[in-house]
Amino acid sequence: MSDRQPLFRTINLTKLYSDGNVTALVDANLEIPQGQFVAIMGPSGSGKSTLLNLLGALDRPSSGEVFFQGHSLSKMRDLDQFRACQLGFVFQSFYLLPTLTAAENVQVPMFEAGLRAAERVRRATELLELVGLSHRAGHLPRQLSVGERQRVAIARALANRPPVLLADEPTGNLDSQNTAQVLALFEELHRRQQLTIILVTHSSEVAERAERIIRLRDGRVIADGGGQPG
Amino acid sequence: MHFGTLIVKNLLRRPVRSLLTATGVALAVGAVIALLGMARGFEDSLLQVLQGHGVDIVVTRAGKTDRMTSVLDQRWERLIANIDGVERVAGALMDVVDFRDANLIGVFIQGWPTDSFLLAQLPLRSGRPLRPDDRQCVLLGSKLAEILQKTTGDMVEIEMQPFRVVGVYESYNLYENRSAIMPLEEFQRLMDRQGQVMAFHVMVHQAHHKSSLVEAVCRRIESLTDEHGRRLPLEARPAYDYVKSTLQIRQVQAMAWVTSVIAMVIGAVGMLNTMIMSVFERTHEIGILRAIGWRKGRIVRMILGESLLLCLVGATLGAIVAVAGVYWLSTLPAVAGLIQGQISPVVIGQGYAIAVLVGLAGGLYPAWRGARLSPTEAIRHE
Ligand SMILES: Nc1ncnc2c1ncn2[C@@H]1O[C@H](COP(=O)(O)OP(=O)(O)OP(=O)(O)O)[C@@H](O)[C@H]1O
Ligand SMILES: [Mg+2]
Repeated sequence: MSDRQPLFRTINLTKLYSDGNVTALVDANLEIPQGQFVAIMGPSGSGKSTLLNLLGALDRPSSGEVFFQGHSLSKMRDLDQFRACQLGFVFQSFYLLPTLTAAENVQVPMFEAGLRAAERVRRATELLELVGLSHRAGHLPRQLSVGERQRVAIARALANRPPVLLADEPTGNLDSQNTAQVLALFEELHRRQQLTIILVTHSSEVAERAERIIRLRDGRVIADGGGQPG
Repeated sequence: MHFGTLIVKNLLRRPVRSLLTATGVALAVGAVIALLGMARGFEDSLLQVLQGHGVDIVVTRAGKTDRMTSVLDQRWERLIANIDGVERVAGALMDVVDFRDANLIGVFIQGWPTDSFLLAQLPLRSGRPLRPDDRQCVLLGSKLAEILQKTTGDMVEIEMQPFRVVGVYESYNLYENRSAIMPLEEFQRLMDRQGQVMAFHVMVHQAHHKSSLVEAVCRRIESLTDEHGRRLPLEARPAYDYVKSTLQIRQVQAMAWVTSVIAMVIGAVGMLNTMIMSVFERTHEIGILRAIGWRKGRIVRMILGESLLLCLVGATLGAIVAVAGVYWLSTLPAVAGLIQGQISPVVIGQGYAIAVLVGLAGGLYPAWRGARLSPTEAIRHE
């Protein structure tokens, strides 16, 4: 596999919802190189989440294809394994398990990676340190601030050391101070670990932090801010 | 964190609901263990009585489902005694009487010939064995003597006739200790059943392959004929089969099972309800778990693990209550000697097996529902 192979490539990616005949995404042709920090912007209902879900193999396209490192997702046999090991997801609502501590929540995805218990604990400690929450490892989600919860969710997304982070409005529920913290964390992950980040946002302030902005309207890509890899 | 920890923590999220569901299972499993345990205790007891006396085969009248109605001609004993392989044979008449004054019902009285080999294995606590010339005499089991407050030398009234207690025996079997034994002829006279017995007890020769000898002797007994060449109406069964096929035991077993099945269905429905609610409440959460890469199989394992764990906790509670309850019952005077205090480990094992079935029955459908949840739906409905 060559280095120039993009991480994601979509060809005529289209998603129709049969109920109500909604065209959520039309003919999207995109290339996202390894290590890029991309923002996806657009008004509500423009297809941002749809695009992200198709990239993340959470949904199947109506037509067109998604390639990950040159492999077609539609031909991939084990999409669960793909999601578990290659992708990290962050959502607007964090969906931490309420009865698990921060450290335990971070370990949840690791069950699918076949790690031993001791390794799971070690990694969770490391990841919480990375997001600056070592001192909160034993706290339950309800004992954490909203911003801290999102950082735990980011640590969880990184549990199996994926090359990509897919984030759907990760700052949608955060105030400006927490938003700044989360964005700083994304930038650091991107810079230090060459993590590819694909971030959906409403806010142009947030989007400006990315290297590239893809704008959607009515399911179509109307602008693509270019950007250079690395 | 281990996967099991996650399962435990999920259950602790709603401790009251989990406890109530486990209690439902505990009731079901407790009922199963208590009822089957008592039924089995009854069966074991009867088998123990026969084996304790060295009885290998019991012969009753063919075609009688209820052995209490079996009537045999006492003279056939001689024919059986002559069969190849038979060591000893003894007729027996049995009936159930009440001791109204002592408020005691359902006491077994055995009429045995005074030379019956069954009497040889009966340890006396006091008094003497029965003799051929004994009239109006009886041996009391130790428990019966205790309840009636009688001892050797006292008089007891049986079927409105006075009997002298010539001895008190103490067998290791509770059931037998609650009965009384008198000479066969005396009992036949008392019951107006001269010349009749209910069963013949047979001991076969010592042999290497005893069970095949027992089978062979059974066949020989069943093919006995009278002087006209007609088959005698005899049914011969090995002691174990005899006990298993006893009508009363089968009735108790059937009742125990019917009650148990009802309890199980109720337990399973409770479990199903709890798990469906629990999956429904966690729609988002399960969808997210799928999104972050959990396979359907792991969702199934999580939900089934929860329902099985609830069932095992319930089964343990139920088993403890059942074992303690049956022990307590066995100490009550009214049923003394009828219920064995101990429950066989096999029955407790059956209780746990049933708990696992309840767990699967109550957990599979919710687990399947959970596994089918779509991650995109879960995220959309935030
Ligand atoms: N499961 C579905 N069934 C029917 N229509 C859907 C479904 N999911 C999305 N849509 C429609 O597809 C279109 C694109 O939706 P999508 O969620 O991608 O928008 P979005 O850009 O993420 O919007 P928002 O900013 O509000 O999250 C919308 O019109 C939406 O109503
Ligand atoms: Mg969206």
